[in-house]
This record gives sequence, C-alpha cells and structure tokens, in this order.
Amino acid sequence: MAVYKRSYKVYDGPLTPSGSRFFVLSRYSAAALFDSRLFTGFAIFCCLPFILGAISIYVLHSSMVQALLGMRLSGSEVVNNIWFWVFLQIECWMAFFMTVWSVPGIMMKDLANNALQLYLSRPLSRTEYLLGKISAVMLLLSAITWFPGLLLFGLQAQLEGHGWGGEHLWLMGAIFMGCLLWISVMALLALALSVWVKWRIAASGLMFAAFFVLAGLGQVIDSILRTQWGRLLNIPYVMALIWAHLFRLPSSFVREFRYARVPLWSAWASIISICLICLMLLNRRLKAREVERG
Amino acid sequence: MASVIDLDGLVVRLGNRTILDHLNGSLTGLCIGLLGPNGSGKSTLLNTLLGFYPPFGGTARIFDKDIRVKTGHLRSMIGYMPESDAFIADMTGIKFVRYMAEISGLPAREAMERAHEAFFYVGLGEVRYRKVGTYSLGMKQLVKLAQALVHGPRLLLLDEPTNGLDPEARQRMLQLVREIRDTQKVHIVISTHLLRDIEECCDQVLILKKGRVAALCNLEEERKANRKFLELEVNQQNGFVEAISSLGCECAAFAGGRLKVVLPENIAVRQIYELAAEHTVQIRRMNYRRDSLEDIFLKAMEDKPEAREIASGRL
Repeated sequence: MAVYKRSYKVYDGPLTPSGSRFFVLSRYSAAALFDSRLFTGFAIFCCLPFILGAISIYVLHSSMVQALLGMRLSGSEVVNNIWFWVFLQIECWMAFFMTVWSVPGIMMKDLANNALQLYLSRPLSRTEYLLGKISAVMLLLSAITWFPGLLLFGLQAQLEGHGWGGEHLWLMGAIFMGCLLWISVMALLALALSVWVKWRIAASGLMFAAFFVLAGLGQVIDSILRTQWGRLLNIPYVMALIWAHLFRLPSSFVREFRYARVPLWSAWASIISICLICLMLLNRRLKAREVERG
Repeated sequence: MASVIDLDGLVVRLGNRTILDHLNGSLTGLCIGLLGPNGSGKSTLLNTLLGFYPPFGGTARIFDKDIRVKTGHLRSMIGYMPESDAFIADMTGIKFVRYMAEISGLPAREAMERAHEAFFYVGLGEVRYRKVGTYSLGMKQLVKLAQALVHGPRLLLLDEPTNGLDPEARQRMLQLVREIRDTQKVHIVISTHLLRDIEECCDQVLILKKGRVAALCNLEEERKANRKFLELEVNQQNGFVEAISSLGCECAAFAGGRLKVVLPENIAVRQIYELAAEHTVQIRRMNYRRDSLEDIFLKAMEDKPEAREIASGRL
C-alpha cells in the first residue's frame, strides 16, 4: 500500500509481542493527558511535597544548615513512621484529585464516539484494554505516591546511617503497600464510574460522592441505627484504618483519630468488596456492543 | 474456491430474542454482500464473527478457524469498519490510524508508515493532520475505512459503508471497495440494505430475513445464466424469426416487432446480429431480460415455499 502506488498491500512485516500491546494504550493515554498544559502544571505541583520532604530530610541531617537556621533537631527523631504517614497522606490526596481529573478524561475519549468497538475488533481483549488504561493511571499515580515515598526513605536511610534503613525495612513495605492499595482502589473506582455513566462531569462528580457523600451517609446510618458499621462506607476512614496498621502508628495516635472503632478485618473486607463491585461493573459495561434486553 | 466464511448452524441470542437462527452456508466470494431489511441480523452476524457476541448454538469459521476458539488470531486478520460513528474526536487523523495500527501489532515505525499510506489510499492525504472530530461525515466514513485497512487484513468487514454519504461520496466509497476487491489480496464482506451497493461490488450475496438465510447466491453465475434470455424489437420480421429458430433458439414473435428469444448456451449474441444483417432487419432495441438482484431479493423476502428453495441454492 505504498503512497505512490496507491494500491492495497497485505502487511507481512514484523509484529510486536501480543502480551505487551496493552502498553500502546498506556502510552497513548498518558501522552493524551500531558497534552493539557493545566494537567502538566498540576502534575508538577504534585511533586512539590516530595521536594519539600527531601529538603526537610536534608536540613534535619545537616548540622551546618541547622546552625544557620538556629534549629537543633535530630533526623531520626522527626523522620519516622508518622512523618512518612503524613507525607503520604498529602501525596495520596493529591493522587485522588489527579485520578478525578485524568481517568474520566482518558475513558471518555474512547466511550464518547464508540471507539471501544475499534479496539476490541483488533487482537486486544477487554482485560488487556482495561490493563492498558489502568496501567497508565497507576504509573502516573505511582510517580507521585509510593515512588517518591521510597526515594525519601532511601534518602533518610542514607543520611541517617547506623542501620536505620535495616531497622525500618518494614516501613518500605508499608509505604509501597499502603500507596498501592490507595491508588488501586481509586483507579478501579474511577474507571468503573466512568464506564458506568459515560459522562465525564458525572463520573468526576460520582468520584467525589463515593469519597465524601458515602462517608456522610455512613455517619447517618451510625447515628440512626446506633452502630459503627456505617463507617465502612467511608472509604478514607477505612483506608486510614488499614494505613494505621501498616504504618504501626502508636495507640495514642490511633485513639486520637478514633480509628479503632471497627475491626481491621472489616476494613479489608470493605475495600475488597469495593474492588469486586468495580470489577463487576466493568465486566458488565465495558463491551464493544450494548445489548438491549427485552 | 476456498471458503472464506462457513456458517454452521449459527444461532445468536441476545437477551431473550433469537437474532440469528440456524444460519448455514459457505461464503466463498471475493466480495460478499450481506443483504436484508433493517433488523434482519446483518450487523449481528458481523459482530458475532468479530467475537462481540458469543454464539448460542452452532458456530462459524473464518478461513477454516473457529470463531469461538481463535478469536484473537482471527481479529488480527480482520479489518472492521463499523456502521455507527467510531473514532477518537480529539486525535488527528493520522495519529488515530497509527494508534489503531499499533494496537493491531505493528511496530511504531511501520504503523506510522502504513497510516500515511492508508490515508493517501482512501484519498484523505490532505487532511490527515486535522482532528477527526472536525471531519465531515464522508471523511469520517473514509477514516473508518483507513483504520480498517491499515494493518493489512485478509478479510474486511464493512458495515453499511455508504451510510449517510452523498451520491458523489458514495460512488467514491464503492470505487474504493471495487479497487480493493480487484487486488484479490483481501476478501470483503459488505453489510447493507442498499441493493445497488451489492450489485456494483459483490460477486456473492447472502440475503437475511428475520435472522434466517433467505437466499445465498452467486451473482456472477446468476448474471451468466440469465444472459440467455433476450428481448428484441425489430423493424420487420422478414424471415428473421425462422432464421433464429433454425439456429436452435426458442423464439416467440409479438405485435409491434417484438421478439422474445431464449439462446442456447452455444449461441452467442453476435450471431443474432449477423442473422439480422443477412435478412436486412434493423434491431432497434435489445435487452437482456434477466433476474436483477432486486428480483432475487424480492423473491427471497416472500414468505413462500420457493424462498426455501432459494435458500437451498436452487434459485
């Protein structure tokens, strides 16, 4: 099918491995997001806590800078599990806003004009399509959550020395696991809601509703039924409960934020249920063709 | 000729409705027409071949590969142009087609090359850097064709390719389809309810009615078979009728110099002209009166037992 010949030719050249084709979707989706200057600006802004965190770790380990600033603090006393917990809380809420912004956008491009059938008429399964989209979001969110978290952990371990890194190895797992859980739930929820409503603004609105309105509803249930189980509808609360366990937050700290009202297993069950509902929704709605029942 | 698509008792049910009901037949043509009124199951058949709908019973084979087990492999050999709008509005045309090529497995560089070629091939070379959302309806149809062609498929499924096109754009689309067909490198299935589209491009037609096969016929053979039937109008008979009969033709004369002739297989039309010259007869009008696709379609749509004969290939 050469331009100058203007004739049709069957393609018989090399093909990419079928297992890695979903990365094409990730690449194009991420590139489409960064076409927006506003989004690029926000992505840079999300890196600000990391830069500030790195500076503060450096300052805490530099006696010269501390002397200049008139401070006298020890790095190991300040930079601990609570410090990382606070840092990641900030980053994860930024990741939430990034998810609300990005996921409905990248899904609507395909859903608005029925492009899904073009993807699925090619050697690409629904799972691979979903994997392609979700990996674009997860890579993006990882870049502002656990990845900078682990970099800061490495910086702290390097500057602190004396086996600090070895002693706090569990913190690496907590940073990675906690962030991965948070961004997975957010990405899945945003994808499911986008596919369900097929309308960008509504999908973004529903994301806020899922995080904040449901929390309010949970409190109403708690008040009316005089129970604690309504809190399981509060995604940030449930997440915080799991995080408190992962980050081994002190009991006084836990009591202060009143995290220990429902058992930990119920928090995990709530998160797993949310993920399963999202997957079920995606399975039902992510189809090349809608079938009218009747 | 090797079979392109084999339908083997294919049943498709959506919800509680049976959309395709025990379809059987072997489609062998280079360009196959899927004809039928709206709601007859044409698009459902294409979607089932693509694996969008699972067969409820029976199966279909494309190039001898079962659609139920070789879906991924088959899709790599198929180019699909859907009926409805299907594009990514805020991508440039070239990026969109390149993207589709990469998803089909072409490496980035080859995908870019083929995307440019496909755009020039369908005649949209000049607008390839415009966003697809800004294209006219005709352009959108052509960009759908370009994305279906870009990975060099062996089978092209075109669902209502001339939908919504003005006469000029429609002719351009059909010309492209004929060009692709004439390369003989790709088989084409066109689903449409427009008889003219099928007549102009296809050599085989499958007519569907209420999800059943109403007719499956080879248009080329039909055209050849019906060429034997002639209607003539002459200025005088002057022994012409007897001369034609002596050739072995069946001939009937009517008022106004009208003749109806059935030519045996070994008699060419040219011999009729020669006889007319010998007998100084002017042939003022000559028609091949043959069953047109419209006749075939209307017969197939009748709820008569002969429709079943048509379906069994005895048209």
